[in-house]
Amino acid sequence: MTRVGEVPCCDGPASHVLLRSVGLTKVFRTDGGPVHAVRGVDLWLRRGEFVAVMGPSGSGKSTLLHALGGLEPATSGEIWLDGQRVDGFSQARWAVLRRRHIGFVFQFFNLVSNMTAADNVELAALIGGASRRAARARREELFGELELTAQADAVPAQLSGGEQQRVALARALAHRPSLLLTDEPTGNLDSTNSASVLRLLSRSHAAGQAILLVTHDARAASMADRVVSLFDGMIVDDAPLPSVPPPRVTARDVLELRG
Amino acid sequence: MRAGLRWIRADLRARPGQAVAMVLVVAGVVSALLLSATLLEGATDPWRALFTQTKGADIWLRLSAGADVRPLGHMDGVTGIAGPYRASAATLVRGPLTAPVQMWAMGPVPPAIGQPLIRQGRWLTSAQPSGVVLEASFAQAVRARAGSTLVIEGLDGSSVRARVLGVAYSSDQGFYPDQTPGLMWALPGLVSRVEPVRRHTVQIAGIRLADPSATGFAVQQAVTQLGSGAVLGVSTWRDVERSMDGGDPLLGLLLALFGVVALGGALLAIGNAAGGRVLVQKQDLAMLKTLGFTPAQLVGMLVAEHAALGLVGAAAGVVIARLATVPLMRQVPAGTLGAVAPLQAGWAALLVGGIGIAVLLATALPGWRAGRVWPVAAIRPPAPGKRLSRLARAALLTHLPPAVVLGTRAAFTRRLPAVLTIGGLALPVAMVTIGIGFWATLDQVQRHPGEIGLAAALTVRPGELDRARAQRIVAADPEVAAAYRSVTVSALLPGETSTITTLGAGTSARPFPFHVAQGRLYQAPGEAVASQGLLDSVHLRVGQYLRMPVDGVPVIFHVVGRIIEPEYGGQVLAYGLDTLTQAGAVPPPPSYSLVLRPGISPASAAARLLRVSGGRLDVARTVSPAADLGIVRPMLAGLFGILGLIGLTCLLTASAVGLRDHLRDIGALRAMGLTPAQVVASLVTRMSVLALTAAVVGVAAGLSLSSRLINLAAQVYGIGAGLSSPPPAGATLTAATVAITAAALVALIPARRAARIPVAATLGP
Repeated sequence: MTRVGEVPCCDGPASHVLLRSVGLTKVFRTDGGPVHAVRGVDLWLRRGEFVAVMGPSGSGKSTLLHALGGLEPATSGEIWLDGQRVDGFSQARWAVLRRRHIGFVFQFFNLVSNMTAADNVELAALIGGASRRAARARREELFGELELTAQADAVPAQLSGGEQQRVALARALAHRPSLLLTDEPTGNLDSTNSASVLRLLSRSHAAGQAILLVTHDARAASMADRVVSLFDGMIVDDAPLPSVPPPRVTARDVLELRG
Repeated sequence: MRAGLRWIRADLRARPGQAVAMVLVVAGVVSALLLSATLLEGATDPWRALFTQTKGADIWLRLSAGADVRPLGHMDGVTGIAGPYRASAATLVRGPLTAPVQMWAMGPVPPAIGQPLIRQGRWLTSAQPSGVVLEASFAQAVRARAGSTLVIEGLDGSSVRARVLGVAYSSDQGFYPDQTPGLMWALPGLVSRVEPVRRHTVQIAGIRLADPSATGFAVQQAVTQLGSGAVLGVSTWRDVERSMDGGDPLLGLLLALFGVVALGGALLAIGNAAGGRVLVQKQDLAMLKTLGFTPAQLVGMLVAEHAALGLVGAAAGVVIARLATVPLMRQVPAGTLGAVAPLQAGWAALLVGGIGIAVLLATALPGWRAGRVWPVAAIRPPAPGKRLSRLARAALLTHLPPAVVLGTRAAFTRRLPAVLTIGGLALPVAMVTIGIGFWATLDQVQRHPGEIGLAAALTVRPGELDRARAQRIVAADPEVAAAYRSVTVSALLPGETSTITTLGAGTSARPFPFHVAQGRLYQAPGEAVASQGLLDSVHLRVGQYLRMPVDGVPVIFHVVGRIIEPEYGGQVLAYGLDTLTQAGAVPPPPSYSLVLRPGISPASAAARLLRVSGGRLDVARTVSPAADLGIVRPMLAGLFGILGLIGLTCLLTASAVGLRDHLRDIGALRAMGLTPAQVVASLVTRMSVLALTAAVVGVAAGLSLSSRLINLAAQVYGIGAGLSSPPPAGATLTAATVAITAAALVALIPARRAARIPVAATLGP
């Protein structure tokens, strides 16, 4: 099998690359002719890295994220995840990949409406292969961290926007994915809730979580290690943000810090 | 698996109403089909069920009083011996009815082989030495039930009063009156009182064989063992089966027809409901895919959920059918059926399994569609339809209120769900319309027996009187409108091995008032009318000639009309008595078919004739098969319930899909100034327009099919086409109104809730 390391992509050892796209395009066929949403994007993300993708509305940020997570097929180009080429995967293989390696957070939360907050999170752990007990323990751990224990039995309609997004974040982390894909997670929240969600993302990143964040909120992007700018479906800038490398802390340390 | 179960559990908790509706629909359809199969089996092959349940004997021997039956037990292949029972011939008298009967002496403990199957009441007991148990078909014929009293007359004229303790099925002999005398069980003491002389009695012994196909050989062996002098008669299970054959499948067919169509409706409703849920829950399902559910897992989950509901429904249906069989067994539709016994487990399993597979297939297509939902649909809102239907355009042009225009537009925005909703609702409406037609026809024939050829309410035979005296009494009776001399003569059909009944009824100048469905009544010697069944079996049409020997004399009949005649299984030819005399045949002594004056009850007329004749006339009341079809009414009512549920399921689905499709539109329209009341009105209008369309389609289909189906059923029965009544307009209109009102009500509750949602909330994705 071709290893991603054979294609020079970035500084540092190739084995540190978690996600990489090569010449990725996405064209939508519409009544008014083809719309080129993503045009030949080369992007990489190292393990534990936090990359923000910024750009104006319609620049193809969300489409790029959806294609990278297999939510819809790319028109052409390659996607590599953890050394494996995945762009030709069937829906079923993408599903298996997502349940093991990828977590999603969306702007409009998208919790499963007929399930309680607890069920939403445990469902993700269960489909990821956890036992019922392990799923419950993981959910309790995450709810404790995200201050959601009291809302465990509420259905999404009974939760505020901020609470729903925190549940969505817990769901995305329930199966301990190696990659977290987030699409405007603060786009539908007030400033207090936005700050809270960003803090949680930052803390998760600090615990070693690789994150690809699509946003046009500069404050959110400022937490990233690198910011990629997209315009008309093409990368126009890819710049690391000057920051002190995050210390390698564990979830346990985070809990202690909070306490 | 675990994750799938978690989702199914949450889904069932979120939609208990839909789940319960689906369970009820499946339960209703399963029970209706099981009941119809039970009735059909009871009608077409009652012997098999009875033989199994009564552990019947394969051979019955009538033996002389002193015969020793012990050698029978030593025969090869014999697994058990029933009896010997002492048996005596007698006459049963019950009111004006008399019937020949054979009394079998049995003990208070029912025998192990040839065990009568108690349908009503109880078995013989030493506490009531004058108690008897009657065979079911015989009990029906003499209109006796547990608790009835009757008189048993012995051959020497002595009479004994007895009380019916119970009514039981038996596979010992065929149904009465195909097989006479009737069968009655009594304690030995009572048999001795009726027939004290032992040598006038016979012995009855039954032999149960390991291999029923060896019956012929076993009979020879038994006769050899006992000596031909001791064996007075033999009957085998084949004789019994043959005499129980030819039951009337009408009721079962009727129910099966409704059941099958209801099954189609239920599958449509279930498929529609599952499809509707895939549409309504598209975002949730897409989100599940985002979380890592594979398409196959999603399909499996949806199908498994519906299969589980279907299974619960099927189990409930089996229980309901079983419970409903008990009263059916007690109140067997007399005359139309010989026996009703619970359906064989194999058949029941096959039926339930078939329905289960059908339910799975009905949910498989929506499941497959769920599997094809792209995960990205979780984030992208669905694009609402943009086309303005013609109906909505027409509504706009006529300046109707905006809510009505919007509702009318919304009704047909999505073509496929609209068609499915209309189809799903039109089917039960059409079935209910047809059911109303059946109901009306039943009313008609029960109120006017003349409509099905039963103009004569009473048949009188001279009995102990001479013919002239009997004729005078009948003619002088003020309650009798007309009396027709009639004879029943068997005739062998040309080229057939079976005989049919021919009726000489009235004369050519004064024919019996049959109900003529086609052609005319006989008006000259040699002319005849025939029923549909007969015409079919000899491939004859009205206007053609039929030559056959009647009473040994060849007669050529000119068939001038088709009559409705339910009494002889549709196999009857009727003509004037002068036809027989002119052909040179000597007609047997006639009976008198009496048409009563309007408003006179047959019972009182019969009582009066008996009183005037000093009880010497033989008066019999005509039993209308329609009278026994009364059981159709509760069955139809039950089916109406099931059809209503099916319709309701369709409406619930349509309401949910509509709300999901139009919630965003509603938000935008409210932002533009639509009041909450107008929102409610538009949603209610949407459903009402769909229901109105469905009602029009359903009623039209029902009206056009009703008469055809009833005539078809009557044709199958042999009565022949021509007795259907159209569904009454009032009842049909009520059914349509109920459907439309239900649609409006189903829409009202979610509509009011939707109207209260803040505008901003409906504008988000």
